[in-house]
Amino acid sequence: MYGFHAISTHNGWAMAIAGTLIVFSGLVVLSAVISQLHKILLFLETKYDRFRNNNKIQESDEPDEQPESALPTIFPSALDEIARLYQPLIEEIGETFYLSDLYKIAKENKFPHPHITFTAFRDAKILIPHGEGVFSWKSPIVDTVNENE
Amino acid sequence: MDLLFQFLSNTGYYLADYRNVIMIVVGAVFLYLGTAKKYEPLLLVPIGFGILVGNIPFFKGFGLGIYESNSVLHYLYFGVTTGLYPSIVFLGLGAMTDFSSLLARPSLMLLGAAAQMGIFFTLLGALGLGFLPKEAASIAIIGGADGPTSIFLTAKLAPHLIGPIAIAAYSYMALIPVIQPPIMRLLTSREERLIRMPELRQVSKKERIIFPAIAVILCCFLAPASIPLLGTFFFGNFLKECGVTERLAQTARTAIIDTATIFLGLTVGASTQGDVFLTPKSVGIFFLGAVAFSIATASGVIFGKIMNLFLKEKINPLLGAAGVSAVPGSAREVHLVGQSEDPENFLLMHAMACNSSGVIGSAICAGILWSFMIVL
Repeated sequence: MYGFHAISTHNGWAMAIAGTLIVFSGLVVLSAVISQLHKILLFLETKYDRFRNNNKIQESDEPDEQPESALPTIFPSALDEIARLYQPLIEEIGETFYLSDLYKIAKENKFPHPHITFTAFRDAKILIPHGEGVFSWKSPIVDTVNENE
Repeated sequence: MDLLFQFLSNTGYYLADYRNVIMIVVGAVFLYLGTAKKYEPLLLVPIGFGILVGNIPFFKGFGLGIYESNSVLHYLYFGVTTGLYPSIVFLGLGAMTDFSSLLARPSLMLLGAAAQMGIFFTLLGALGLGFLPKEAASIAIIGGADGPTSIFLTAKLAPHLIGPIAIAAYSYMALIPVIQPPIMRLLTSREERLIRMPELRQVSKKERIIFPAIAVILCCFLAPASIPLLGTFFFGNFLKECGVTERLAQTARTAIIDTATIFLGLTVGASTQGDVFLTPKSVGIFFLGAVAFSIATASGVIFGKIMNLFLKEKINPLLGAAGVSAVPGSAREVHLVGQSEDPENFLLMHAMACNSSGVIGSAICAGILWSFMIVL
């Protein structure tokens, strides 16, 4: 048996169409899920951090001593140096974050003019936008080479 | 004197058949392509040498041939007929694969899905040419351009065709630099080939750790028959990404996958005994394999063009050709074709995203086809 007759007899058309639809739907669902994965993770991390911070406040009877600022008295003007000072904050909030969170934490740590600094970071592609207020951090590469020299 | 004549009549020189000679020449060509031309040497060298070994004429009944029970080759071939080697190869592949580019640009996964069209077109073609449904499904999976997946499905559905199907699948994978570029150029304009892709976002470690767990659940719930392939694939990837089993991941992507590849290649090559391999069916399989591979490449490219009709930020349709799961050959070819038009255009990482989704897609297709055939 050959040709279209053979295809119809063995249910070939149905298998081809159903197979195509199944594999497409499977990969579409997977891609949809992973496209939201970083947002879900970010949301959960933010929630968890807030929950942890709230618990800390409730547990401590005495108010926390104001942490000593790690900032130098004279703030550097070179963007790479400023980025280096921001590095501990980035480590604290994770590799991907909402810009508003970085702003908040920068304010808390008394970094001067975070708004202007962020604009400079964006221009220098140290802050990489991913849409909807989500950013990631890309450290400037210069430092180690220059330091070694 | 009788003893001498008896001995001589048992030698390969006396028992040689023209079909053995043809296959030995084929084996030598594979070895040449693998060693001199460096076309997929890790695959073609074991297979080529296996073809030589499998086509040395011998006296039947001594327990020497791969199809004779109790022979050493038969025991090694067990890993092929049960689908064991493909599963182990997938474990190693998973431990090698970096899904960062796919996680950074999940929409490229659709190109991996589109390239699977080759499988279903070929299914229709094989049925139309008179192959039985199980044989047609085994031939169709060549369109996935994935050797282990082809061998796995054929072992389950049409074990008598493992030799020709495996040889066809691996041959076309090795011939990617010959087959794919003309199709890519034919289906795209110069302007399309010049499209540059934006830099991919950084993917966090947590995303990379969670992905294999989510993917194995979503894919294997949809097509449980793909568990032997995707289960080990994503397990290998989890070993790599979780950060606490680096030693296991290292072993999976080196010693384990290498061992499986050696035995897989050698025994698949040895299974191509002239009398079993050189049949009209094998010719049909080779023809359909070429069709499957070409349609898969074309489907990916055409789907890339279709996506561009709806996207604000256009994608380079060449990436669609990497939707077949020949890792990393087809991704490399996409990158080279892109660079031949614009040396500053770097498509490799995006093409790898399509490539890795092609691996997932073809394994799901194998599961789907196997399920269909159980129902039949």
